[in-house]
Amino acid sequence: MKREQQGLNTTELKLLASKKQNMNQLTSSPNAWLARLGAAAVAAALYATPSCFVQASDTEKPADTKVAQAKTDKKEAVKPKKEEKKKLTGAELYSIHCNRCHPERYPTEWTAAQWKTLMLHMRVRANVPADQAKAISKYLQEEAGN
Amino acid sequence: MKRRSIFYGLLAASVLGAAVPQNAFAIVSDEDFNAVKTMLQQLSEKVKKLEQDHDRDQQLHKEDQQKIEQLQQDLGQTQQIATNAVAKAEAAAMSPAAQAMAGPGATHQFQLVGDAETIFGRIPGQHSGFAFADFAPIFLYRANENILFEAGFDFTLANNAPAAAGTSYGFDLSFATLDYFLNDYVTVVAGNMILPLGTYNERGAGWLNKIPDNPMPRGLLPGNGVGLQLRGAVPLNPGGASLTYSIYGVNGPSSFDGTGNSGSLDLGGNVGILSGATSLPRQYGYGLPGTTFSSVGNLHSDPSAGGRIGLFYPFKPHYDVELGISGQAGEWNDLGQLWSAVVADAAVHIGPAIELKGEYINTWVDTSDLGNIRPNGWWVQGGFKLSGLSLELPIINNIELVGRYDQANDGLVPATNSERYTAGFVYYFSNTLLFEGDYEWLHSTGPNAGVFPSNELLFQISYGF
Repeated sequence: MKREQQGLNTTELKLLASKKQNMNQLTSSPNAWLARLGAAAVAAALYATPSCFVQASDTEKPADTKVAQAKTDKKEAVKPKKEEKKKLTGAELYSIHCNRCHPERYPTEWTAAQWKTLMLHMRVRANVPADQAKAISKYLQEEAGN
Repeated sequence: MKRRSIFYGLLAASVLGAAVPQNAFAIVSDEDFNAVKTMLQQLSEKVKKLEQDHDRDQQLHKEDQQKIEQLQQDLGQTQQIATNAVAKAEAAAMSPAAQAMAGPGATHQFQLVGDAETIFGRIPGQHSGFAFADFAPIFLYRANENILFEAGFDFTLANNAPAAAGTSYGFDLSFATLDYFLNDYVTVVAGNMILPLGTYNERGAGWLNKIPDNPMPRGLLPGNGVGLQLRGAVPLNPGGASLTYSIYGVNGPSSFDGTGNSGSLDLGGNVGILSGATSLPRQYGYGLPGTTFSSVGNLHSDPSAGGRIGLFYPFKPHYDVELGISGQAGEWNDLGQLWSAVVADAAVHIGPAIELKGEYINTWVDTSDLGNIRPNGWWVQGGFKLSGLSLELPIINNIELVGRYDQANDGLVPATNSERYTAGFVYYFSNTLLFEGDYEWLHSTGPNAGVFPSNELLFQISYGF
């Protein structure tokens, strides 16, 4: 962690130096103040981010650890929900992909076993990503005819 | 003492006199007595009637109770029957025969899909007639989770008019490949494959294409090739976007006669036979009339390489964009001369009702007689389903209006250029039974303009299965 800290600090310094140089170049431009503010914000962010990591790892107290852990847990608890919300269902993927080339077939037109074979065929023919093809296949097999 | 007795006697008499009501002493008349009597009789009758009603209600209640008990018994029997049926169904589902029917657990599965079409044509200078019939089955065999064998055939019957009388029968192996799903991102395809030059080739089956014939510039490209292909897709986001790729090596186009002359190019010649076969023009096959396809030799020893990379980006169901770029290059004759092609394709869906797609095709052919020629062309096709108007009319809602513009230039010197406008419709009897009608206005210029058909009226019934 210390090595990383040193490395990051070196990078920060280089970046800050670079920003400073750029700022000097921008001094005479009409947007100099905006550039200064932006560079200051970037520099502050660069400085603050690694510092937080270092402080959290080296000087954390038990109580802080619990708070940090709780925050992490909370983030992790929220993150999958967002992903789940975004992830498309087999039915939605079915509508997205199948209509590209032909009218939708009714799931009951074939049996589960036939859908399984058909989706392998369509995965190749339409270049459907494997996970999406599997989700569509699962949906069709669940809704399949007898 | 006597006085006291008298006093108490008077007191008692006065108390009694005050306690006894006055009417106790009144005389009841006959009228009053009769009225009371009548009232009592009426009350008695009412009570009697109420008792009778009560008895009847009790009887009805008893009957209702009996009916309820009967219904409860029937319900119990029905529930028992249903329970038995469920148990039997579950038992049947667990049986090996049922598992074979349901199939998910089965390793092998054989399936037949495909399509069939027939075309009715009206061409100036010819009699109207059914010009073409096609039965195109696709055999699918799933060996296991990772292996699929698929083969498509074309059984065709076409009128020979105007070149000759009668009809010609055709049998063609459209493709036959072994697909091995190496992992989620790579599928190995080996055999006689449909080439992913653009997207039309892989999505141009009779019931998929909304116009009976193919865009003319498709005739500048080979339809299939024997070789090996790697293909797959990488998902880009949870919304369904993906990056698709195909890379392949095939025998590639060849020369009919071993020369490098421009007229000797054989786009379909990908089998290693040197001589002795014949070629037939494809009237409703791939592209340009007069283009020949055959099984005549692969008159060179170096295969062609090609591939396609595409981006598919859906915004939501029925709203998506697909862009792709593909190409192929390789020797086509023993002189080492090159044939190469680049295809740019695009497709857009704007809701369930609107579709736009097209391709730009450019090829380069090194020839002995004309140097490097550049046959090229492009096409764009649009469709609008009238259901998008939300008119709630059953017949209207089943119609899709279609239009296409396609153009092809043979690249010869001097060049023949053809352009065609097509307007028509698709009537969906169902999701797989389609009736198409189109009128095509074709205009050609150049020395080979005569080989192109003039304006045509085409109808096609197609069925996908």
